[in-house]
Amino acid sequence: MQLSDRTTGLFLAGLGLAAAWGGSRLPAVPGQDVGPAAFPMLIGGGLIMCGVMIAFGIGHSFEVPDAEEGERHSTAYGLRALVPPGLLLFYVLAVERLGFMLTAAVIVATAAFALGAKPKLAVPLAIGAPIFVHAVFAKLLRVPLADGILPAFW
Amino acid sequence: MHDMLEAFRLVAAPDVLIAIVASAVYGLVVGSLPGLSATMATALLVPVTFYLSPIAAIATIITASAMAIFSGDIPGCLLRIPGTPASAAYTDEAYAMTRKGQAELALGAGLWFSAIGGIVGTISLVVMAPLLAEMALSFSTYEYFWLAFLGLMCATLVARSSPIKAIASMLLGLLFACIGMENPAGTPRFTFGMTDLLGGIEPIPALVGVFAVSEVMRAMVTPEPPKLPDRKFGSILKGQWGLTKKYQWPMWRGNIIGIIIGVLPGAGADMAAWVSYAMSKKWSKEPEKFGTGHVEGLVEAGASNNASLASGWVPALLFGIPGDTITAIAIGVLYMKGLNPGPTLFTERASSMYALYIIFVLANIIMIPLGILMIRMASKILRAPRSSVMPVIILLCAVGAFATGANLFSVLAVGFFGCVGYVMERNGYPVAALVLGIVMGSMVEQNFITSLIKSDGSPLPFVERPVSAVLASLTLGALLWPAGVWVFNRLQARRAAA
Repeated sequence: MQLSDRTTGLFLAGLGLAAAWGGSRLPAVPGQDVGPAAFPMLIGGGLIMCGVMIAFGIGHSFEVPDAEEGERHSTAYGLRALVPPGLLLFYVLAVERLGFMLTAAVIVATAAFALGAKPKLAVPLAIGAPIFVHAVFAKLLRVPLADGILPAFW
Repeated sequence: MHDMLEAFRLVAAPDVLIAIVASAVYGLVVGSLPGLSATMATALLVPVTFYLSPIAAIATIITASAMAIFSGDIPGCLLRIPGTPASAAYTDEAYAMTRKGQAELALGAGLWFSAIGGIVGTISLVVMAPLLAEMALSFSTYEYFWLAFLGLMCATLVARSSPIKAIASMLLGLLFACIGMENPAGTPRFTFGMTDLLGGIEPIPALVGVFAVSEVMRAMVTPEPPKLPDRKFGSILKGQWGLTKKYQWPMWRGNIIGIIIGVLPGAGADMAAWVSYAMSKKWSKEPEKFGTGHVEGLVEAGASNNASLASGWVPALLFGIPGDTITAIAIGVLYMKGLNPGPTLFTERASSMYALYIIFVLANIIMIPLGILMIRMASKILRAPRSSVMPVIILLCAVGAFATGANLFSVLAVGFFGCVGYVMERNGYPVAALVLGIVMGSMVEQNFITSLIKSDGSPLPFVERPVSAVLASLTLGALLWPAGVWVFNRLQARRAAA
């Protein structure tokens, strides 16, 4: 997700403005000049300054150009980057109902297929990885992983 | 003496020894896989450390990071793809040696001088930390504020990016650290009515998101690295003693530079390797050989990156200020295990400190046999397709984040910070500065607000004490340095044009 310096700079300036405004609305501590508002307002001010400077291209000359990351792809291809956070969101929504084993199997299989794995790799991985992770975290480390509709066989 | 014996007893505990060996193998494997950094290896270990004894937890962090930094040299040497950013500085040189048929010498140099660097770095930690601890006992909130601020500024100064973007990243991290009730007034800030945010943003999910999830996101849109052809290696350590004698000055210079850079808050192993490789080339008697497969740069930079790893623990243990991203994670683990960083750690928990030194030495010694084993198995491990590694990592991110507090909100936080890290890296914003901001936010604010209350709002006491005055000038120098460089470059360009 390559954005122009103007876009990111203005976003940061806006965020700084919101932080300073949000900070200024925090209640003061009775009997003290300095309260919880001071730090967010200071940070907000700094972000506004940095954001404006970035938007105007100040400091750009210090940047080291990135090594070429292979061929350029379409926006749709770039959206594949959203698969991992999407899978984490799926975990949050599904794990209580489906249970760890099934949710983890879906996550591993989806990620493997998204990375170009063939079924002969993705399917055993989707079966084996959840069993291994469950054994380590639930059995060994006692992390309470949800059973859901398919509890672990041990 | 009693503390030392107690330290040996702590390290000899079976759980600690198992943790050292297991994390060594884990660090070697993860570090050798292209794209998986030592920081990511360490971040993914944190949920496991929750369930270990304090010494075993610290042992896993120390051992895994040291192994991963060395192991990053393996794909760099064999495939020209650095396993970790700390190996990037000399990847071309190592690969050129492989093409000349000297892969064993290059890999052996990486292993041998990494181990030496790690041990020298540990000696610096043993010598420096107690001396500085005595000095730090007299520090007030003013000094701590400037020290923390200096740490943040150093992180922005050494970033290979625009200093403005680095400062913006750091401020963003500080802003994230403002979320919740953990501020001097105990007022809920930026929680938007969400109870999950009242406790603030935990550094661990943020670290896992920024370093691990963003890496999986990047893997989704970049082509798979080439496969390593199957090959057999000759003797790995053959000729290393000769190299040690021949290049002893570059080796010592690399160790010292690594130690200095490690102690600087925010500057880590990758910066140490870049600086040392550049210095090696500058001071070499044979600079013309650099880039053609010359081992001298590997000797100096390989020693440097591992030396910085140990010395990076000096500010972390003394002040709770991370020397690099790995110690940023380690600080979280130290707090979690009741080993709160600070000068009193050296007096009240001396045996734990000695245990930490012993683990460092032990990790660097076992690095040699395990490293040789890893090099011999490299052609098998490096052939693992990315589509078999990354899905397991994303699963570990989810389970690991959940394990930190049995809370699904942490899993969401990991996904959110993954997106933040990915977008920032793609647009030239250094994520290390963001992480330091998150880790150090509450410390900076606590000391800043307490100092302001103590001084009745006056800025003068911030610079009245000698140490705080020196720290303040260093901080302002770090802040103004990029502006100075920019003005100088402009003047030079104008003079050249005229």
